Amino acid sequence: MQKVLIVDDSISVARQLEKIINESGDFTSAGHARNGAEAIKMNHLENPDIILMDMNMPGMDGLTALRSLMALDKEVKVVMVTSLGGVGDKFTEAIKMGARNVISKPFDAENILRIIRAL
Amino acid sequence: MAVRFFGQFLVERGVVTSEKLLSAIELQEQRNLKLGEMAVNMGFITHDDIERSHNAQYSNDMKLGDLLVQMELLTPAQLSEVIEKQKENRLYIGEALVQVNALSAEELELQLAAFREDQAQYVSDRIELPAGIKNRAVWEIAADLTYKMLTRIIGLNFRPEKSIVVTSFTAGNIVAGIDFNGDVSARYILSASKKVKESIAKAILREENVESEPAEVIEDSVMEFVNVVCGNIAAKASQSGVVLDILPPVIIRQKEEQPITVPDGRIGVSFPIHVADGEKIEIILLIRQ
Repeated sequence: MQKVLIVDDSISVARQLEKIINESGDFTSAGHARNGAEAIKMNHLENPDIILMDMNMPGMDGLTALRSLMALDKEVKVVMVTSLGGVGDKFTEAIKMGARNVISKPFDAENILRIIRAL
Repeated sequence: MAVRFFGQFLVERGVVTSEKLLSAIELQEQRNLKLGEMAVNMGFITHDDIERSHNAQYSNDMKLGDLLVQMELLTPAQLSEVIEKQKENRLYIGEALVQVNALSAEELELQLAAFREDQAQYVSDRIELPAGIKNRAVWEIAADLTYKMLTRIIGLNFRPEKSIVVTSFTAGNIVAGIDFNGDVSARYILSASKKVKESIAKAILREENVESEPAEVIEDSVMEFVNVVCGNIAAKASQSGVVLDILPPVIIRQKEEQPITVPDGRIGVSFPIHVADGEKIEIILLIRQ
């Protein structure tokens, strides 16, 4: 079963995503980081297969964390899940940095699972 | 269910890969010249003129074209010609995707139709704002998208009232705020009564019942709703060329009996919303003037 790390400052979003992941049958949650710095630490400790990460977080934001994660491991599979997905510049920046996809909030469970199954 | 631009819509649906989209964006960046570069190409100005005008922009908050005219490097007629040429030569992302062989022309038409259908729910309705508000289009988007998200995400039935200018507002129900920065600046605040907050939490958490949830989780759900609304406002504004950044949402706590005064240099606009059973929501924008 593939492990998915969730990175979002919102506990309600993390709860939703963990539910979607754990009920999928083919993924399991590798835990919840509340900002970019925690994501880097948990990526090292948990070695997840996929990271679902918000962009707009206090402390280290999602794009800064994405840059650091990609610098450490070019193969890391990061999907941004963000309310800013529809902002063209943010989307392009994330894809240029190496994000595998950018999912806009509000999201639906089927779309998230379809995208991470395709990675 | 969110405001998207066409390239993102295609990648999210798996119609094109992110690599192909990047190639198309790179092609666009080569072909869609910025105003200064186009003016150089047309022989109106030099690269040195662009550099001088960019330096002048540090102390002068004007668009490059207007500044070039003010510095007498371009005439108003030449500026119009440059803008017209930019429009004529503009390569749209769909055309760029066809040129990099990510899509056929026929597939592009089909996907554009699907995209229009997906985004039709976010076509802006007219919102009436009080007189004297600058950058009205952005704040109309803010109110309009809030109404649409309250309907589509939360499933609320409500009646928006006419917006009014306020110099202070009561703080009893205020929960979440977000700061917008960029081409325009404001604080967006959402105030909601208890039952409305619970409805928001049910929708965000996808739970039937939230009575046993701690206050922290209810507040977090409302913050997330505000985050989603404001992210989509930034996305919609960017489609009109307005750059908006949002900061992470914050919880605002104040004693009910102490009204909050609109800070100097800002104008407060309230959008009251009536929900069934006497419940209330209010959006307050503190717009920097």
